[in-house]
Amino acid sequence: MEKVISEAKKAFMTGNETVAWAALAAGAEVMFGYPITPQNEVMHYWTRLAPKYGRGFLQTEDEISAGFTVCGAVQAGKKAFTATAGPGNVLMQEPFGMAEAMRLPLLAIIQQRGGPSSGTVVYSQQEVTLTTFGGNGEGHRIVYSTATHQEIYDYTIKGFNTAWKYRFPTFILGDGYQAKMREPLELYSPEEKGIKMVETYPLIGLPGHIGEGREPQHLCNIYSLEEELYEVVMKVSAEYEAISLELIEYQERECDDADIIIVSHGVVSRAADDAVTALRAQGLKVGCFRPITLRPFPAQALRNVLQKSGAKKMLVAESAYGQLYRLVRQEIYGETVPIDTLFMPGVGIIDYDIMNKIKSML
Amino acid sequence: MERLDRVMEAYVGEYASGKSEIAINRALELRSRGRSVTLVDLDTVEPFYTLRTLKPLLEEKGLQVISFCKQDAFGLGETGAMLNPQARWALRRDGDIILDVGYGVYGARTLNLVEGAYESQELRVIAVINYSRPLTGSRDRIQEYILDLGRVDAIVSNTHLGSDTTEKIIEEGHTVIMHVARELGIPVDFVAVDESFQDSMGLDIAGIPIKYIHRYMPAAMW
Repeated sequence: MEKVISEAKKAFMTGNETVAWAALAAGAEVMFGYPITPQNEVMHYWTRLAPKYGRGFLQTEDEISAGFTVCGAVQAGKKAFTATAGPGNVLMQEPFGMAEAMRLPLLAIIQQRGGPSSGTVVYSQQEVTLTTFGGNGEGHRIVYSTATHQEIYDYTIKGFNTAWKYRFPTFILGDGYQAKMREPLELYSPEEKGIKMVETYPLIGLPGHIGEGREPQHLCNIYSLEEELYEVVMKVSAEYEAISLELIEYQERECDDADIIIVSHGVVSRAADDAVTALRAQGLKVGCFRPITLRPFPAQALRNVLQKSGAKKMLVAESAYGQLYRLVRQEIYGETVPIDTLFMPGVGIIDYDIMNKIKSML
Repeated sequence: MERLDRVMEAYVGEYASGKSEIAINRALELRSRGRSVTLVDLDTVEPFYTLRTLKPLLEEKGLQVISFCKQDAFGLGETGAMLNPQARWALRRDGDIILDVGYGVYGARTLNLVEGAYESQELRVIAVINYSRPLTGSRDRIQEYILDLGRVDAIVSNTHLGSDTTEKIIEEGHTVIMHVARELGIPVDFVAVDESFQDSMGLDIAGIPIKYIHRYMPAAMW
């Protein structure tokens, strides 16, 4: 496979374009997709670049097929991915469920858009519930919520490794703003940074005969008996919980002595970070906590932050009407710190919005 | 009716090349000379991710801005592309006309939606090139890209890395862009440089005029 980035180099581009370059650098072999705003340029750039580097692309007839073709490709041992948003994310829940059931190393980039709707294309953070717990299953997924283009690049590369190492469907959760806005970032090849890409391997069509030197590959998506399903779900749940500790990622800042802790994720966490800087300069004891993995959620880390700070209040800020809020509450059940909220569905949140809210809480 | 005393420019270019930023700055520059200027947002696909949010500010500065705003939107979402009728007939307006031609790779073809664009003798099609964008990050790629755009009357050399820009980055990009421009026989109108470089020592940009620009677009998304 031809090397994509010969040496680390700064570039100026959109988030969608960043995904395409990261997938190339990570050695992705094929993308399956169906156009949808605001992820379209992931496909646009992938289709411009893929032929130059001998990689593949197929535009399927819809998102259901795009998801299932990724499921098929990874079973054949191909490093494959897709990207979608909004109603496309809804349609892909069926193949995502299959990937959960069969433990397929599927990677999907989700650029969240507004809802409820089939056609609204604007920014929002309203696909948190869908991406973390969508589908008819138990949310056995890994979801990274990025905040910068550098993170989109880093986590797309990492996402392939996470998917192939742990064999749970993995998601890079961006949004319409991250997809479209432009900022500088460093492009690099994983090897240059000492990142070893997990080798892909076929899951089916293996050499030899079952029972004669190898066990059957039991990639099952259908169970006929209740007890059968029970056993499988319990086993997978236990495996998921066992790896959760090593998967969890988060950031905290100025939390040690904070009276108020802001919890936010993704692009909104940049506003929270700026707000903390400004409020601290005004002598207010405010800190911020940002889950990077929304699944598995860094629950213990947030509990620890609440405990060490003795915070009197929490503020959950999101461009949605309570999706992160519900996640936070379920994950820190039992904590008694009052939670205030700043819900701005479909609307970007800037530092002033958070600062004003914090001041109203004092 | 041709009126050769006025400025009519269409800025085209690779996605995120700086078209909108250059178009805004150019329109304001003309306005500051007391001219009547209309800035036209020709992004028909995603009018919500463009200079829409800057419209009030730009109008306050004296520009006429043709762009969708909340009151004009009629809920097509992605089920249909929106062409503002005012944009279609923009070239028939009086005064200077600056077209910001979205969207994406094939955005330049949006020009065919503007009445009289291809027949106009006055209209200049200007490609905005940023060498720090990987797809226009080498001589070959820039050349291939410009040829792909179709008609290009001039180039704006717009190499930058946002907040990480250095003089070296600007000069290096400009050198490559100049090389391609000479090969293709297309003039470089000016080098766009962020205003924060105004006080720095002279950039070596081979005698091409510099225009210092203020960045408006970072405010366009929130």
